[in-house]
Amino acid sequence: MLYSIYEVIWFFFIVAFGILAIEGYFYYHFKFYDRKWFLPAGAVFFPLAASFACAFFLDAGYSRLPAHFLYFFISETAILLFFRHVVRGRFLLPYLLMAPAFVGLALLLAYPFFFEVYLSFHDLKLTTIMEWKNTGKLPFAGLRQFVNVFTVPPLAEAGFWKLLIRTLLWTFINIFFHVLGGFILALLLNNKIRFKGIYRTLLVVPWAMPQVVAVLAMRGEFHSQYGFINVMLAKLVAWFPFLAGLGIGPVQWLSDYPLMTCTLINIWLGIPFMMVVILGGLQSISSSYYDAADIDGAGYFQKLRYITIPLIKPVLMPAITLGTVWTFNNINVIYLVTGQSGGTEQADILVSALYKAAFTYNRYSYSAAFAIVIFAILLLISVFYLRTFDAAKSQYER
Amino acid sequence: MKDKLKMQVTSHYRILRSPARGGGKSQARKKLIRNFLIHFGIILFSIVCIYPLLRIFSVSIRPGDRVISTDLSIIPDSAALLSYARLLKETHFLRWLWNSLIITMTTSFIGVSLASTAAYAFSRFKFPGKKFALLLLLSTQMIPAGMLILPLFLMIMKLGLINTYLGMIIAYSVSSLPFSIWILKGYYDTIPRSLEEAALVDGTSMIGAFYRIILPLSTPALSIAFLFNFTMAWNEYLVARVVLFSSKQYTWTLGLFELQGQFITQWGMFAAGSMLVTIPVLLVFLYSSKWLISGLTLGSVKG
Repeated sequence: MLYSIYEVIWFFFIVAFGILAIEGYFYYHFKFYDRKWFLPAGAVFFPLAASFACAFFLDAGYSRLPAHFLYFFISETAILLFFRHVVRGRFLLPYLLMAPAFVGLALLLAYPFFFEVYLSFHDLKLTTIMEWKNTGKLPFAGLRQFVNVFTVPPLAEAGFWKLLIRTLLWTFINIFFHVLGGFILALLLNNKIRFKGIYRTLLVVPWAMPQVVAVLAMRGEFHSQYGFINVMLAKLVAWFPFLAGLGIGPVQWLSDYPLMTCTLINIWLGIPFMMVVILGGLQSISSSYYDAADIDGAGYFQKLRYITIPLIKPVLMPAITLGTVWTFNNINVIYLVTGQSGGTEQADILVSALYKAAFTYNRYSYSAAFAIVIFAILLLISVFYLRTFDAAKSQYER
Repeated sequence: MKDKLKMQVTSHYRILRSPARGGGKSQARKKLIRNFLIHFGIILFSIVCIYPLLRIFSVSIRPGDRVISTDLSIIPDSAALLSYARLLKETHFLRWLWNSLIITMTTSFIGVSLASTAAYAFSRFKFPGKKFALLLLLSTQMIPAGMLILPLFLMIMKLGLINTYLGMIIAYSVSSLPFSIWILKGYYDTIPRSLEEAALVDGTSMIGAFYRIILPLSTPALSIAFLFNFTMAWNEYLVARVVLFSSKQYTWTLGLFELQGQFITQWGMFAAGSMLVTIPVLLVFLYSSKWLISGLTLGSVKG
């Protein structure tokens, strides 16, 4: 009977994990790690015994003894170090609390990520994928894919640098209007007014709506003939004919200004999230600050400048950081608006170009290298953000 | 000293009683105008926010021969539920909704429960590697969206989970974990430590304090995190497109896309499906919006 390599690996993984769990339980329950014999027994005696046991009971043969000893020695030492420094230390609880989340992240984010890095140094494309599927072999490409990223355009027309500038512009404009709109709406909602709950619900609708539906609905509103915007523009021109002389009238949004259309749609989509975050921050500000400012005779904008903005900065900065990353990474809006096949490529930003290079043009390794370059850019941006966030926080805590 | 204090108090008293602050007819009128402006602004924004949804609704109840028109009215003449009937009869729509619901609820629950404990560790403990781990979390958010689909697909294939709920759940469950941890950590940071210290003095453990005090107090943040997980998984289609291939296992995003592909001009059925899909999400929002914002911590410290 033939087992696939993955079944074998899984079997060993489960067995090893079970043994570790049982062993760990005994160590912990009897507090063996406080005993003097714990270290020598764990590092030498147990591995020795286990490797001999393997040779005896599993018929592994004495020739494999050193290899088995090495394996058990390494794993046992890992357990010992774990008990010495984590279980006995003061940090057991935080590590235990973090463990499930980080195990999940390691398996489902880190592993695929490193696989992607592996792909970027090899050559996986339509002509090599069948061979790779059957034999698992890939031609090594070195840094060629990374050179290609900067020299060969990912799409029919736009090259890397053009896409980069377009992406930065897209990100900046979107985030600016998200924060501005969210801030204004949060300030409006933070008053003592009637129907607050209803307003809040209505304002959150673009975020609550499924993005696919929201984007396609908005795309319908930008339709050149039946969309709300062009219908209204046509009516305006019909009512006030002098507007036509100023160049105002129905516009082919989707084919002539695709990037502007995408930006408008994304601004509409992103404001509610910022609003909710900022509103949460506003409500956690104690009203005593404002009372004190009132007594000192501060005006509305003075209060805004010296109380509200500094106090919501700790809430706002992480939201802006994440918002930047999401906007930078936003495939959905652009992909849904500019269409799946034969659509315009004038609105493509880096990530949507990456997606098209991978799944429309089937250049897997090229797109892997492309993805890693994008990742590096994002890393730079957010390290910068984190710096400013730390500075803001220290200022706030001072 | 005493005189100075007295002077201060009287001056404050004067400010409080001055016509610029309270009382007086002009003040009432000013307040009225201000309230009107606030309402006006919010209503304007609200209309912008919900108008596309209303349009989708109006398209979905248009009779079959007039689905595409320049008509802007919300309730069209001779409204009919024809599109809904056709959608339910001719497609697996209910099945798609059910698939999406199972996948979405499971992933949200897993995501929030993992995030709540991890965020607690980040908020309340100092341990080696904390800053590094936080940076790591942030950097996972920077992985471009289209990047991990291919390796994830290969993993799920090797596990034999293609075209199953479990495969989808595995693919989705950690995708919004870093964000949930950040949001929850930020919220836990605003809860004063004195609450837990009081509980510790009363004889509970750190875990007990977390379970009995921090978790109940952070329902707003937990519900934000849950909603976030929910919307992420509910709206996702890039991963679903590679993992699921049989029409019966589709989530609604794939289903509606297929609809759009099959009947290019059938905006009516697409709009009907969109309405039915949007309703559960809006209901969840309505139900939990009272937790979204509240001054819970403030109240509990003051007593």
